[in-house]
Amino acid sequence: MGVKGLNQLIKEHSPDAYKEFTLKNLFGRKVAIDASMCLYQFLIAVRQADGQQLTNEDGETTSHLSGMFYRTIRMVENGIKPVYVFDGKPPVLKGGELEKRLLRREEAEREQEKIKETGTVEEIMKYEKRQVRVSRDQNDEAKKLLELMGIPFVNAPCEAEAQCAALARDGKVFAAASEDMDTLCYQPPFLLRHLTFAEARKMPIDQIEYGKVMEGLGMSQETFIDLCILLGCDYCETIRGVGPVTAYKLMKEHGSLDVLVKYIEDHPDKMSKYKVPENWPYKEARELFHNPEIANSDDISLKWTEPNVDGLIEYMVKQKGFSEDRIRSGAEKLKKGLKGGVQGRLDGFFQVVGTSSKKRAAEPKGAKGKKPKKK
Amino acid sequence: MLEGKFDEAALLKKIVDSIKDSVKLCNFNCTEHGITVQAVDDSRVLLVSLLVGQSAFSEYRCDRDITLGIDLESFSKIIKCGNNEDYLTLLAEDSPDNVMTIFEDKKKERVSEYSLKLMDIDSEFLKIDDMDYDTVITMPSGEFSKIVRDLKNLSESLTIIVTKDSVKFTSEGESGTGSVVLKPYTDMDHPEESIKVNLSSPVNLTFGLKYLSDIIKATSLSGTITIKLADKTPALFEYKLDAGGYLRFYLAPKFDEDD
Repeated sequence: MGVKGLNQLIKEHSPDAYKEFTLKNLFGRKVAIDASMCLYQFLIAVRQADGQQLTNEDGETTSHLSGMFYRTIRMVENGIKPVYVFDGKPPVLKGGELEKRLLRREEAEREQEKIKETGTVEEIMKYEKRQVRVSRDQNDEAKKLLELMGIPFVNAPCEAEAQCAALARDGKVFAAASEDMDTLCYQPPFLLRHLTFAEARKMPIDQIEYGKVMEGLGMSQETFIDLCILLGCDYCETIRGVGPVTAYKLMKEHGSLDVLVKYIEDHPDKMSKYKVPENWPYKEARELFHNPEIANSDDISLKWTEPNVDGLIEYMVKQKGFSEDRIRSGAEKLKKGLKGGVQGRLDGFFQVVGTSSKKRAAEPKGAKGKKPKKK
Repeated sequence: MLEGKFDEAALLKKIVDSIKDSVKLCNFNCTEHGITVQAVDDSRVLLVSLLVGQSAFSEYRCDRDITLGIDLESFSKIIKCGNNEDYLTLLAEDSPDNVMTIFEDKKKERVSEYSLKLMDIDSEFLKIDDMDYDTVITMPSGEFSKIVRDLKNLSESLTIIVTKDSVKFTSEGESGTGSVVLKPYTDMDHPEESIKVNLSSPVNLTFGLKYLSDIIKATSLSGTITIKLADKTPALFEYKLDAGGYLRFYLAPKFDEDD
């Protein structure tokens, strides 16, 4: 999951592409959120004080519903209109990666079993968290909750990130939100990270601007995708011995994987330390990034409607054991967020003609984009 | 270096109080013509644009352009230390790390000095074109302030509807509705009490009262407010400084969701 080292590379070469801000800054924006990713996050992060997942009386996990409910409300309260995008069937090429994840989960289970008697609570919890996966039922439960909340969601035919990016590209939403850096390969104008993190973590939201990333890296979209494949994506292996720095250097030099692979083959003496995997399916992986299977944005209509309060009480309180007061006050907030029209933003009307920070020019590379600090 | 002396500390006090609830951190840009500030609030809905002209100072000197990154919360605490009638002088070096505020009592021989550490504030500078507005309203600032305060009790939004012969402010809330209708009016003896409406086409715009109630904090700066409106465009609320300069607020309207 994610492209290894890409974050670091972009920070180094395109510091301007990064912007940090708080939720408030996204006021009035529509955002497409990779639902599968954030459900997974909720299952990991939304826990009781003792580290156990939240459950209802029957012992069914409800962490994902709690996260979905409260964090969505927090966004709505801040004037953001979220739309969730769910994964469809994974592409065939992802089979290898998925199998690896399954093995990792089994491994974690065995480890947990081993230390069950001797390990500390933290250790056991660590392995427990590694076994977390989002089940089909949990996905369906989340969808049901969203429907009751009046928040739209989209079932992507394939990868959710690709669909999020497409919605942003076609102007249906402002940005795609995912923790997964390979979302950038699908060219969303803006990628948001940490959007669904807990408020308590005080983690600023990262906004990454696609155009500025390309500018900073000095790459075409094709080269960029090849770079991501070389760094390691979900679809295929990488060339052994190539880390982020080397990958960037090699792609700058050769421009595409085809040229690079040929070069490695032609120069066995110089390039012997790099081993290209046999039958490396990088072309297929590239195809998945270039032409992902997505639904046409024109066919998707996004509507935010009033929450179904009775439905929410029935589902969340009676079936899932949430507190009625909290669900009611949450529904109240959703209603309020929807009412009274949408507050417009100034951005469309005034052009930004430069930044007025006196020391910006003098700052060393890499230090840019950090928060203003008191001297 | 910058050296700007106000005849009365009250002016700067009022200015800072007028904007510190809208924006927390902002750059004061000092040039030979005076001091300007441009800042956008966090939600990017309200823009504050301030000009304190050279003429607002009793003495003013600024040889090179200087940017002062100021935390208004802290600055406001310092400004409160002086009496309203004191002379107030702002002092800063050419590449300053801090700005000095000096108060001098006019009768007693008391001088107090405060230094404020400056911040490095990243802020985008927006280009504001002169726009064509459909309607220009000039009215007593106190009157506008009262309308905003009254209607805020009812709702979160205020709709301004301007037709040929009246201006209507109206709010609709859960507990009830309220509206105030004003007609153009000329007061020969007290011109600042007059209400003027220049209309080229009718407008109907809705604004968040949360932002309007921040804007009316500037009421003490000027007896009149000028409101410029155009359809689907940020409205301009302007308070002119008698001593030279202005404080302008640009506020994006609310839209009905149409798609």
